[in-house]
Amino acid sequence: MATTRIQGYRPGLVDVATGQISREIFVNDEIYQDELERVFARAWLFVGHESQIPSPGDFFVSSMGEESVILCRDRVGKVHVFLNSCRHRGMKVCRYDEGNAAVLTCPYHGWSYSTDGRLVGVPYFREAYHSTLDRSAWGLVEVAQLCLYKSSVWATWDPAAPPFLEYLGDFLPYIDLTLDAWDGSDGGTEILCGIQKWRVPCNWKFPAENFSGDSYHNISHRSVDLVGIGPSGSGRRDMPELNMARKLHIAFPERGHQTTSYLLPKEAAPPPAYQHSSVVSDYFRECEEARRKKQGDWGRMIALVGEVFPNTAFLARQPRTLAAWHPRGAHETEIWRCFLVDKSAPAEVKDFLRDYYIRYSGPGGMTEQDDMENWNYAHAASRGTIARRYPYSYEQGMGTAVDNYEWEGFRVPGTVCDLTQAKSSEHNLRNLYRRWAEFMEAESWDELTIWRRQRQAEAAE
Amino acid sequence: MSEPVNIRQIAPGTKIALVDGALAEVVSNPADGVWVFARYLSSPGDPSRVGGEEMIFAQDIVEIRE
Ligand code: FES
Ligand SMILES: [Fe+2]
Repeated sequence: MATTRIQGYRPGLVDVATGQISREIFVNDEIYQDELERVFARAWLFVGHESQIPSPGDFFVSSMGEESVILCRDRVGKVHVFLNSCRHRGMKVCRYDEGNAAVLTCPYHGWSYSTDGRLVGVPYFREAYHSTLDRSAWGLVEVAQLCLYKSSVWATWDPAAPPFLEYLGDFLPYIDLTLDAWDGSDGGTEILCGIQKWRVPCNWKFPAENFSGDSYHNISHRSVDLVGIGPSGSGRRDMPELNMARKLHIAFPERGHQTTSYLLPKEAAPPPAYQHSSVVSDYFRECEEARRKKQGDWGRMIALVGEVFPNTAFLARQPRTLAAWHPRGAHETEIWRCFLVDKSAPAEVKDFLRDYYIRYSGPGGMTEQDDMENWNYAHAASRGTIARRYPYSYEQGMGTAVDNYEWEGFRVPGTVCDLTQAKSSEHNLRNLYRRWAEFMEAESWDELTIWRRQRQAEAAE
Repeated sequence: MSEPVNIRQIAPGTKIALVDGALAEVVSNPADGVWVFARYLSSPGDPSRVGGEEMIFAQDIVEIRE
């Protein structure tokens, strides 16, 4: 299908009212090009973690959309994110994945940049440029906004985007469940070992919707559950605690973020977990007890999985990770997954978790392989001339979400679908695509900051 | 043209002769193979540079003196 540009993504391609979404948004190259401009050049994107660049001069090469960026800490300790492209002729300045450097020198003609992005070295500056090149105008391109939040690093190219915390809104406490320490104290995480990176032949929205809360695809992990890769030996994660909780789909329609989280009953004692090691099991029991004391009602919340619009996923517990779905064309995604642990956790706990995490996630992880296979073949089977005439179905749980959900005294922020009885819903997935369509249609952030307009309207009343 | 100098190996304190006849002492070396930071000890072409620190481009370094 040729897309005459933005004929209207709603209801044409993304029809959340009927729960139908066109395959074109996954397989159409023109839509993909638009996406880079309208979604990836405007939204806040996850870039990395401060534990990757602890010292001045440390750098880590990351990605925003398709573009390579340098996350680095300058000489005075300030964190920057730069486009990894030389201002002279575009050469990739930094070709190592990570390291430490006094200056970032372009290998092509030798322009050299300080770690705060200034152009400091120009070969033959006196002779060839007669000292007239305005070096201050030719520094590395820096992101428009940067936010360090509990050691995670986020950036956007768009100066008009709302600040990161406003971008997250009331979704923030759900991310905290991943970024705070296991005992509930603020932050304190580090990335365990390195980042796992691999490519899957599918559109980036396949993993994005899956991690938004595809609670329906458990069946495809059946073999992993039968093997019992979990930290206590059965299933793929510890379930006794989750089985006593309310299972919720929680979405933020104005923002496009969503999570599948579990709300525990009041005063339930944490059942045993991580039973393959008594040290690890004891450690987590103590942490969990401390967390519940410290966090009150939020201590009853367990985030299983969630997605920050557009392409960052988090799993708060088993396995605790941040993942980014970097687009590499309409038909390929580079997946990055980093495993988070508490910096202060004992070595035995970190070792135990490393084994479990790798068993579960990453290119060799057994659960991840199931998912990759699904996305790979679903994408390929949706590209054909005939296939793309038929929309996908997202009708589960339509009309069942409420925005004043409360259970045992805790009012849950967000628009909530209770899956405890329903088993499954596509509420969160519709939320992702509703927001995606808004990004694709909107000409400016004025149109996208819906909450500001609502607040203004309320104030005017 | 003189033999190319492998500037990645040059330690701080080393004296280097430059293509314009100047002599400089290496202050630090980022080891990128393209630049060193050095202080001018002499500069017949432009005496005002003496004592000043600059980034010196590899192709401008003709010889390691000590
Ligand atoms: S492209 Fe970097 S110096 Fe020319
Ligand atoms: Fe899965």
